Amino acid sequence: MPPTVQLFATCLGDLVFPDAVVDAGLLLREAGFEVEFPPAQVCCGQPAFNAGHRRAARRVARTFVRAFSREAPVVTPSGSCATMAARFLPELVGSEPHDVWELSAFLDAQRFDVPPRNAGRRLAYHDSCHMLRELEISAQPRRLLERSGAELVPLPRPDLCCGFGGTFSVRQPEVSAAMADDKLAGAAEADALVTADPGCLMHLRGRAERSGSPVRVVHLATVLARGFS
Amino acid sequence: MTELGQPPGRFREIARLKLADGRVQEALDSSTARLMRHRLDAWADLAGVEALRERAHEARMRVIDDLDRHVADFSSALVARGGKPYVARTAEEACAYVVDVCRRTGATLAAKSKSMVSEEIGLNDALESAGVRPVETDLGEYILQLAGEHPVHIVAPAIEKTAEDVAELLGQVEGREVPADLESLTRAARRQLREAFVTAEVGITGANFGVCETGSVCLVTNEGNARLVSSLPRVHVAVMGMERLVGTLADLAVCLKLLARSSTGQKLSTYTTLVTGPRRAGEPDGPEELHVVILDNGRSDLVGGRYKEMLACIRCGACLNVCPVYRKTGGAAYGPVYSGPMGAVLAPLLAGLEQAPALPHASSLCGACTDACPVKIPLHELLLELRADLVESGVASRWERLAMTLWSLAWSRPFGYRISTSLARLGRPLAGLVGPGRAWGAGRELPPLARRRYRDL
Repeated sequence: MPPTVQLFATCLGDLVFPDAVVDAGLLLREAGFEVEFPPAQVCCGQPAFNAGHRRAARRVARTFVRAFSREAPVVTPSGSCATMAARFLPELVGSEPHDVWELSAFLDAQRFDVPPRNAGRRLAYHDSCHMLRELEISAQPRRLLERSGAELVPLPRPDLCCGFGGTFSVRQPEVSAAMADDKLAGAAEADALVTADPGCLMHLRGRAERSGSPVRVVHLATVLARGFS
Repeated sequence: MTELGQPPGRFREIARLKLADGRVQEALDSSTARLMRHRLDAWADLAGVEALRERAHEARMRVIDDLDRHVADFSSALVARGGKPYVARTAEEACAYVVDVCRRTGATLAAKSKSMVSEEIGLNDALESAGVRPVETDLGEYILQLAGEHPVHIVAPAIEKTAEDVAELLGQVEGREVPADLESLTRAARRQLREAFVTAEVGITGANFGVCETGSVCLVTNEGNARLVSSLPRVHVAVMGMERLVGTLADLAVCLKLLARSSTGQKLSTYTTLVTGPRRAGEPDGPEELHVVILDNGRSDLVGGRYKEMLACIRCGACLNVCPVYRKTGGAAYGPVYSGPMGAVLAPLLAGLEQAPALPHASSLCGACTDACPVKIPLHELLLELRADLVESGVASRWERLAMTLWSLAWSRPFGYRISTSLARLGRPLAGLVGPGRAWGAGRELPPLARRRYRDL
């Protein structure tokens, strides 16, 4: 019996980027895991939590506790949801922590030998903030991309947030969009801008489409599972 | 109090103006990036920087956790050296005291060195109303005073001004054209400021630190203006935030090691002055009187509470320089005094949340500020805490609270999640017309909801 992991799709993954979740599942199977999708999962409560609505956040976060078992690792293709579930959720709802992993950190820790699907590709990687600063995951996704054959194109200011920031994106839409423009401009030389966070993906892609930026923005799971095309 | 307030909507309004100004965007980008790089280089050259940050945090928190005693210690040490402490509970009390000192001195001109606390209490307006002309002697502040503007960065107040802007402002005073090169600008500013240094009867400074064991006021500048302001006029008034104390000279050394490095990347700023009492008998120079106004203005309310760590701030500006939001909006959006992450935390704490409700949300919570803070204030966590307070205290709008409650009720069960997201798909064509969808859609494509949810594949 292969070891089991529980896949946390996240709300954005489930509703907006199901392909990225499919790809995350493919990678986990490729890495030798049995992938289980606990059907009662909803959302980690992050949108409300980061906006200061703790009661609302708690209500939604409890679905996570009810849906996932503590017997197997929880893996999610989202840096910020992994942060929420690992760092903030246990205290918020008063529960024991789960063994939560962001996808690339999990695959890297398993020494997953990613097939060279991106040979000859020039890819830029965008660090999502919570993944970078709360979980301190920055080398792992880059290592996986390089192992997949890609040449990494450094961004001029990898430290800068892309401007999503949950409700920030609609409270300060002009600043938020301007931050995305800077991020996209920095990736002009790359074939694609890769991110491990559906929030950043939705924001950056939405801005690129609207502003006419030629930069393609893709989820890390997708480029690793299928190669960038 | 009003100086720290920021009405809702104002942040966004000013941010839009700044975003549309290419010169400001360029100045903000290059200056903040340069200051950040200098800090990182200086930290890299400093052995044991992490341990030092920890020590600085501890030194500051020792003071804050026992603030009353430290204020008393500082005050008695100051008195022992011949200085006069005055604890001002409010901005009004602080201004009234300084105006009174000027009146008793018969001053009509006050030379000022840079002080954010004096901005916080609106001191210049108070002085002017009392017939005392304040002249800012920090170059950046002087330029802003000529322009009739407020500082937009706590360390580099005129960070958004270009050399051409400065040449124009100085030229207006000179009555002739001033070339926009550094030497000509410095020469013109020096000529104009020299008069203020020599003729002012009262010198007003801020205080980077007050040292409890000696009663000293520590002043840090690169232009030397604080040294002139605190030594040439007959009377020196230092205006200091109540929390800017350190227990000992040893603690001061720890903080100074970090202050300039974190601000500008210097090991020490060009001038670091310790003012310990007024002129003593037999000394050739220094002021006859030294007053230290110790300003509370809401600070003591933070002691012992969830936000007490904000009082550890040493005003280095490192958080502004790394902030991706500040980098686009500049300082004015946050209000006329404090800006960037430290301002977004401090202003609502001092003025009251209802006075500055947009500031806790003026951040993407990226956490760069917390990483950059030399005294390890968890700035982005404090912002998050303030957001929760906005909701708890009912300052957040009723609509927002209602929407979040309804959403959370729907998403508290998988069934409700399914129903609500199916309805959302039906309502998708309208999403761009109202509320958050409209704000999103103004600059970005709305994400298409997938034809089938992952769970339905």
